[in-house]
Amino acid sequence: MNLPLLTVILLIYLGIITHLVYLGYRRTSTDEDFMLAGRDIHPGIMALSYGATFISTSAIIGFGGVAAQFGLSLMWLTFLNIFVGVFLAFAFLGVRIRRMSLNLGSDTFSSFLGQRYQNKRLTVFSGLMIFIFMPAYTSIILIGGARFIQQVLNINFDIALFILAVIVGFYVITGGLKAVMYSDAFSALVIFTGMLFLLIGAYRSVGGVISGHRQLARISDLVPAELMEMGHQGWTSMPAFGSSLWWTVFSTIVLGVGIGVLAQPQLSMRFMTVRETKSLYQAVIVGGVFIFVVIGSVYMVGPISNLYFVQQEGAIAQQVVSDGNPDLIIPTFISRIMPTWFLYLFMLTMISAAISTVSSLIHVQGTAFGRDIYLSLLRRDAKDDQPQPASPEQGSTDFPAGAAFVSRVGVLIGLGAAVLLAYVLPGGVIARATAFWFGICAAGFLPLLLGALYWKKASGRAALWSAVSGYVVSIGGYLFLHAAEASEIGLAAALVGRETLLEFPWTVIDPLVYALPVSFLVFVIGSLLDEGPGEEHTARCFAGIREEQQN
Amino acid sequence: MLGMEDGLIGLAWLLSLGSALVCIIYGAIKWNNSGDKE
Repeated sequence: MNLPLLTVILLIYLGIITHLVYLGYRRTSTDEDFMLAGRDIHPGIMALSYGATFISTSAIIGFGGVAAQFGLSLMWLTFLNIFVGVFLAFAFLGVRIRRMSLNLGSDTFSSFLGQRYQNKRLTVFSGLMIFIFMPAYTSIILIGGARFIQQVLNINFDIALFILAVIVGFYVITGGLKAVMYSDAFSALVIFTGMLFLLIGAYRSVGGVISGHRQLARISDLVPAELMEMGHQGWTSMPAFGSSLWWTVFSTIVLGVGIGVLAQPQLSMRFMTVRETKSLYQAVIVGGVFIFVVIGSVYMVGPISNLYFVQQEGAIAQQVVSDGNPDLIIPTFISRIMPTWFLYLFMLTMISAAISTVSSLIHVQGTAFGRDIYLSLLRRDAKDDQPQPASPEQGSTDFPAGAAFVSRVGVLIGLGAAVLLAYVLPGGVIARATAFWFGICAAGFLPLLLGALYWKKASGRAALWSAVSGYVVSIGGYLFLHAAEASEIGLAAALVGRETLLEFPWTVIDPLVYALPVSFLVFVIGSLLDEGPGEEHTARCFAGIREEQQN
Repeated sequence: MLGMEDGLIGLAWLLSLGSALVCIIYGAIKWNNSGDKE
């Protein structure tokens, strides 16, 4: 470890980040600043902040390691990340979410759904799901950052995790969305530059792009026997169609994360932070380029690392890292091919990427606890669609001190649960836990979110039942059918004496594949049978949306 | 393509590039249009 160099880079980096946080913090004066960055953030900052929150240590460390194991077929996730995660999310859903949340005066994901559907139970249920299950995602973001620190500083993982948890804790407590969006954008710029350098460095280390891929194709006989049996046909080939690896790559990784991004509460809220629809069209440009470069690089660098390790050390990536933990492949590869200063800078980037995502997640989780659960239950007699629409000028100041305190308690519980989980989860879990969280959110929230934005007749009761059925079916699938989780949790084994209730292919098909259609059907049939919302309410929700979409 | 053995992987790469271009072009056109009307 080169301590003087690390110290210099650390001080410069911390100086910039602290200045940016202070800048945002100083401009946080109203409740709306805290919740939604005052609905007046620069579109470039919004897009980069969205990018830094979406692409965290999970994507770079966790999914980069998975790409090193499974090969270039993960490029399909790059396509979905750009087309669905940026293009459809910003230019279509984002435009409507921004306008409708402004019409309704909502400032959290759960309150938006509850007010749109005039159903307070939906606010409480969605707040509860976020509060209970989000630590599964938050914890693996911490694990990703800690794995990088472990590798770079050559220290014990538990100590690395403790260091990261303390840094994140300090940062999260200052709170407020405006304070984090500036530093997020800076992190995104460093990630962008870092990934470009890494992409060039990786291909230079193996003699260029075409030559690298050809050589990588030639070493496909080095794929571990276990992966070959699952359907692996080499790092430059797709897995065998219908094999267990094919189902894992396409139903869990590509579909789960590719579609699940639309129903992520912490990302949907980002659309509420810009002042006008035009900003979202500027943001889609920045977002598209950012995701293409960063994610495209990760999923190309992962597989190519195998070739480098074979040439230099005579073994593929997973055999080089300790315990065969795929989460260590990218950190190890970077530490081998890049100069020391880059390694330190990248480590700080990963720490700040973890901080930006964790603080955003914890922010959502804290407000789910304080506002969506506590406040909704406190005001049982209040009307379902309160509060009345707040104009951007007046801000929504309807936030009693009790709820603010409960939100902070929620933040502490959320952070504590995430750190605790990060200590107990097994190695190599990052990509799987990410897919789990994205999958249950897609099954629970996606149908009713699309219905909220596009279907005037969508009913509140149907939306609640759709969310409940989506969560119950998908979580049931993880507990009893999907082997990767069911066999580790052991509930099916305890109840019926078998690891999973059904045989292949149900053991490898991601529960999202059947939970999402169930929740869609419940939503559509329920809405058709139920009375829709009143015309007055619908008119208020959809005011100005058609004009904005046509501009 | 690019030395990628499997055509479906090459297709994914092309679609990714195409989507990024769609983001740039669509965003620029809509940004321009919404600017004119203000």
